[in-house]
Amino acid sequence: MVDAVSSNPLVPELGKIIKIIQETPDVKTFHITTDKGKPFTPMPGQLAMLSLLDVGEAMFSITSQGPEYLEIAIKKVGTLTEALHEAEEGQTVGIRGPYGNGFPLDMMKGKNLLFIAGGIGLAPVRSLINYCAEHREDYGNMWIIYGSRSPADLCFKEDLTYNWFKVENCRVNVTVDRGDENWNGHEGFVPAYLEELKPSPENCVAVTCGPPIMIKFVLQSLEKLGFKDDQIVTTLEMRMKCGVGKCGRCNIGSHYVCLDGPVFTLEQLKKMPNEY
Amino acid sequence: MLKIKQTEMPQLLNAWAQKSRVFVPQDRGGVSAFLPWDGKGTLTLGKGNTLEPPKDIFFPRTETMYRYQVAEAATTLETMPPQKEQHVLVGIRSCDARSLEIMDDVFLTKGYEDEFYRQKRENTVVIALACNEALPTCFCTAFEIDPGRAEGVDVQMWMTSDSYLVEAITDKGEELLKQTSELLTPVENETLPDAAKPTLKVDVEGITEKLQQMFEHLYWAEVSRKCLGCGACTYLCPTCHCFDIQSENRGSSGFKFRCWDSCMFSEYTRMAGGHNPRPSKKERMRNRFLHKLQYIPERYGKYGCVGCGRCLDRCPVNVDITRVIREIKEVTL
Repeated sequence: MVDAVSSNPLVPELGKIIKIIQETPDVKTFHITTDKGKPFTPMPGQLAMLSLLDVGEAMFSITSQGPEYLEIAIKKVGTLTEALHEAEEGQTVGIRGPYGNGFPLDMMKGKNLLFIAGGIGLAPVRSLINYCAEHREDYGNMWIIYGSRSPADLCFKEDLTYNWFKVENCRVNVTVDRGDENWNGHEGFVPAYLEELKPSPENCVAVTCGPPIMIKFVLQSLEKLGFKDDQIVTTLEMRMKCGVGKCGRCNIGSHYVCLDGPVFTLEQLKKMPNEY
Repeated sequence: MLKIKQTEMPQLLNAWAQKSRVFVPQDRGGVSAFLPWDGKGTLTLGKGNTLEPPKDIFFPRTETMYRYQVAEAATTLETMPPQKEQHVLVGIRSCDARSLEIMDDVFLTKGYEDEFYRQKRENTVVIALACNEALPTCFCTAFEIDPGRAEGVDVQMWMTSDSYLVEAITDKGEELLKQTSELLTPVENETLPDAAKPTLKVDVEGITEKLQQMFEHLYWAEVSRKCLGCGACTYLCPTCHCFDIQSENRGSSGFKFRCWDSCMFSEYTRMAGGHNPRPSKKERMRNRFLHKLQYIPERYGKYGCVGCGRCLDRCPVNVDITRVIREIKEVTL
């Protein structure tokens, strides 16, 4: 079917969508596999270029993986993502990767981990949460603080309400900007909830991802709580085409987000131009 | 060293063209570019520099990456056959020779090799021609480029009043010259013509360090005001390497291709959700200058400008990188 694709990083491998999960009205998770099984084995936080051959190609974070497939959670925002949302199980896709640096696992070893995410921003963080849950002995306490606009917009509900509660020493706090008649959980924005919960910066690394406005205020809240810049990790988004640091567009200063990122510590980000 | 009369150069090109595709400066509707030699074109070899840089020999304006057929039964993908054609690129100037080193850094280092570029680069014999005269827009010496001898090429040529002096630098160059030895006369103790002395001077010492402190400077709003965002500078720049990836469909089949793109266009960085980290020409022009003078130096250890002068020659509103460099050195932080 395809020969010598591995020698050319810009040519995808053909795969199939084997399962689609409707997470929220505008987010679906796709399980993707190939004839030879899992397309590749990414580290948490790494990225994949996913394409519908006759529509387009874009970079997505890989939210999790099974033994035979990758999981990619996709919000409907543009031409390709709309087409993917209309796709059915069995749809052929192109996939290439893994790209990017992933989360700094060595730096996180032995630390308590605080995960703060908003909306679809939980997708990249989830790859790390699941990894740490599988390598529980390597990490300290885990604490997940997650929020979305409304109860309907909460992604990965099964993880939030069940799977992550089973993880040893893992606390989960969920908030929504505005609840509905059935919501009896917390209401309010993620940064305010974070300040309310007051996690300790002691031996802790905070990992955050979400809409830019949320990240901006989460960083301020973390600073108030005493987190230092080298204790804060985030993952960035940029428009990408090649994924291998050649096509130019995802640069922040002399760094390419596809290659040198998408994960940066706040300490690293502060040394880079403010252009993302 | 070897020698050939200028009047015999077409014969030499014809001989090379027997086995290879020969790209040599020729005139096409008033535009000088490295075009395939078919024995009939109007040579502009040795007359100033080409308007178009040689980058498209290695990195074509558009290039098919793979083909596909979308079908319910089985969608298939077909990769492109490896490029086996041999190329001879004749007459690049020292500035463009340096640009190939920068392109090599971009396409062949930092963890991934660009297969499309690598094949063409490996299959090409690069022949430089020293500059005897500088154009008013030439400033290669600002980047320690010697107009009289190029770096990283396979063969170096010099032009005398009636001949070309030819010297093989690499084995690949030696091999090519051997194939056409009947046309090349061995000579000894030839005096090389004086190299051109560009009169356009600019001192780039310390420019990267200055720019590292200037990201938020008001200067960028000022300097970008007249920019039309046409992108001519980036298309003519021998080191601009940005590309887009798009597909073209014909019914159920199609092909994926890459094509030159430009950081001067707003679409270039605009994300599907609408967010654009470089929303106005201020950010885009800043990116272009910082890329040449700060980002490439930081990433690859050499300047991303080679002083060829094409951008300042052709900018419709006279944005001049040498003036920008001078102004940057003078602005107060």
